[in-house]
Amino acid sequence: MLNPYMPIPVDVEKIITEVDTKDIKTFRVVFVHEDEKERFKYLPGQFAELSIFGKGESPIGIASSPTQPDYLEFTIQKAGVVTSALHNLDEGSRIGLRGPLGNSWPIDYLEGKNIVVVGGGFAFTTLRSLTNYMIHDNNRSRFGDITVVYGARSPGLLMYKDELSAWEKREDINMYVTVDKGDETWKGREGFVPTVCKEVGPSSENAVTLICGPPIMIRFTLPVFFELGFSRENIITSLEMRMKCGIGKCGRCNVGSKYVCKDGPVFLLAELDELTKEY
Amino acid sequence: MEKRLIKKEMLYDVIKRISEEILVYAPVREGKDVLFRVLEEGMELLVDYPNSKNAPKNIFFPHTEAMMRYARTDRGMEISGSGEEAKEAVLFGVRPCDALSFVLLDMVFDQKEYRDTYYIDKRGKTTIISLACVHPPYTTCFCTSVGGHPMSSEGSDILLTDLGDTYFIEFLTPKGEKLLEKFGNLSEIDDTVDSIKKKLSDNSEKKIKSHIPAKESKAWLDDNFEHPFWDTIHQRCLACGTCTYLCPTCHCFDISDENKGNRGRRIRSWDSCMYWLFTHEASGHNPRPSQKERWRQRVMHKFKYYVDNFNAISCVGCGRCVRDCPVNIDIRKIVEDISKLKALKL
Repeated sequence: MLNPYMPIPVDVEKIITEVDTKDIKTFRVVFVHEDEKERFKYLPGQFAELSIFGKGESPIGIASSPTQPDYLEFTIQKAGVVTSALHNLDEGSRIGLRGPLGNSWPIDYLEGKNIVVVGGGFAFTTLRSLTNYMIHDNNRSRFGDITVVYGARSPGLLMYKDELSAWEKREDINMYVTVDKGDETWKGREGFVPTVCKEVGPSSENAVTLICGPPIMIRFTLPVFFELGFSRENIITSLEMRMKCGIGKCGRCNVGSKYVCKDGPVFLLAELDELTKEY
Repeated sequence: MEKRLIKKEMLYDVIKRISEEILVYAPVREGKDVLFRVLEEGMELLVDYPNSKNAPKNIFFPHTEAMMRYARTDRGMEISGSGEEAKEAVLFGVRPCDALSFVLLDMVFDQKEYRDTYYIDKRGKTTIISLACVHPPYTTCFCTSVGGHPMSSEGSDILLTDLGDTYFIEFLTPKGEKLLEKFGNLSEIDDTVDSIKKKLSDNSEKKIKSHIPAKESKAWLDDNFEHPFWDTIHQRCLACGTCTYLCPTCHCFDISDENKGNRGRRIRSWDSCMYWLFTHEASGHNPRPSQKERWRQRVMHKFKYYVDNFNAISCVGCGRCVRDCPVNIDIRKIVEDISKLKALKL
């Protein structure tokens, strides 16, 4: 009987500091055992529990895409005990991993539709996974127009900068990177995510939007999409809760009868309407 | 299903004999309380006792349990198993409410997708011998309101019913039947036993004096997550967690690492939705910021969410949370009050 609590070993191959404040880093990890790598089949939107023995476990969204098969990436903000310990690691360290856990962005549901990705700040991680998945050569034809609106408070807080520039150069994806307030070096767009979404005004015709960001951003972005005609079935988000076991047993991350770790973290807005507002 | 009779004085010998071969957990007296302990030489086995202070869920789901061991090395770490594989065991003297709790816990721990190996391992290797409540012990017993019965066999492998000088003994499952030979020469039953049991069963059901409209509360809970009622029930609550720790069906836990130098073990320990830290996030946000939300969670989980997910109420009516709440919060009263609110709404 497979023990779902038992982590497998992974090695931290590369650590990338993403932001000027240095409290968000991306950890690229590789599997120690080939068979475990083969078994780890995931989709964008899923998460994994990362372990540092002696400190504990934390649920972290997978920031890489299944189309990057050699490694997994996790973008982690230093916040609690485990994430602080992760931030103190050196490349080459061995940590524990279990997963993939939770549901994913609903790829089948997205297929054939125009996609609007809206991310704010640190919450962009699993949307980055989804974007990389969709624009991969093997998958690009499965989706219609792809529009990405991604914003941060300041230029120094934008993550995945190299990748953003690469995406901006592509013709098969509409990129709108914005910052709340620029600085002297910033030549890009300024403005809040909801405002930019309004300016971009993506058509709701056969379209789905996926939104992740701070609650205040989501609160002001939703009305924009309602105005554009997006139904509550076509707005999708990912919830965050204090998860522990990740497999619906320890009993803390439920919202109504659903467990965010097992039934989520991804929910259609229409599904959230059915749930209690306890998140 | 095999049915026999066993003389009362023989039962002690049988259980003692079994305890010489395999682990036997049985109710024993400790101070004022009755608790389930591993039966050892010289311990007095209880059969006539109302119910244990704690629910026996800790046999399969201990308060604290090692999940794995680890050693920190130059590279990072090495992990090994918990080193605590379950042994074959008998859990003797469980009351029907507590036996039913295992069926409810199975629904969480033994799911198709994720199987909780720690719980399942111990549960699978343990045979449960229950004692029917011919005389339901407490005024706080309300098993019949939540899908149980004082003489129910649900969750038991073997059920003993006190007939006076003898026990009527039913071997209910293959696991129970495997123990049959250990009981030695048992008397065959005659035709009258089943009817005697039926009579006892009807009588014991009548002795349950506490009835609550538990099943009916769901309809109100479905629609009233935001209701002023929730502002009132928690006000005396000290957030001590006693209700959840004594509850046979509460299963929430925390996972943490315990270090000793460069070695350590990952443990899980019981946790409680009554504690503010339970849902407190690293960001500082807490989706259940006050005792109001935590009490609502406790009631909702037992009488709505469990029903939604498993079609069962997550309460067995043992009454422990009622008896031992230091400020006399009574879940029965909460459910009754909900039914009155429902009546008002109509």
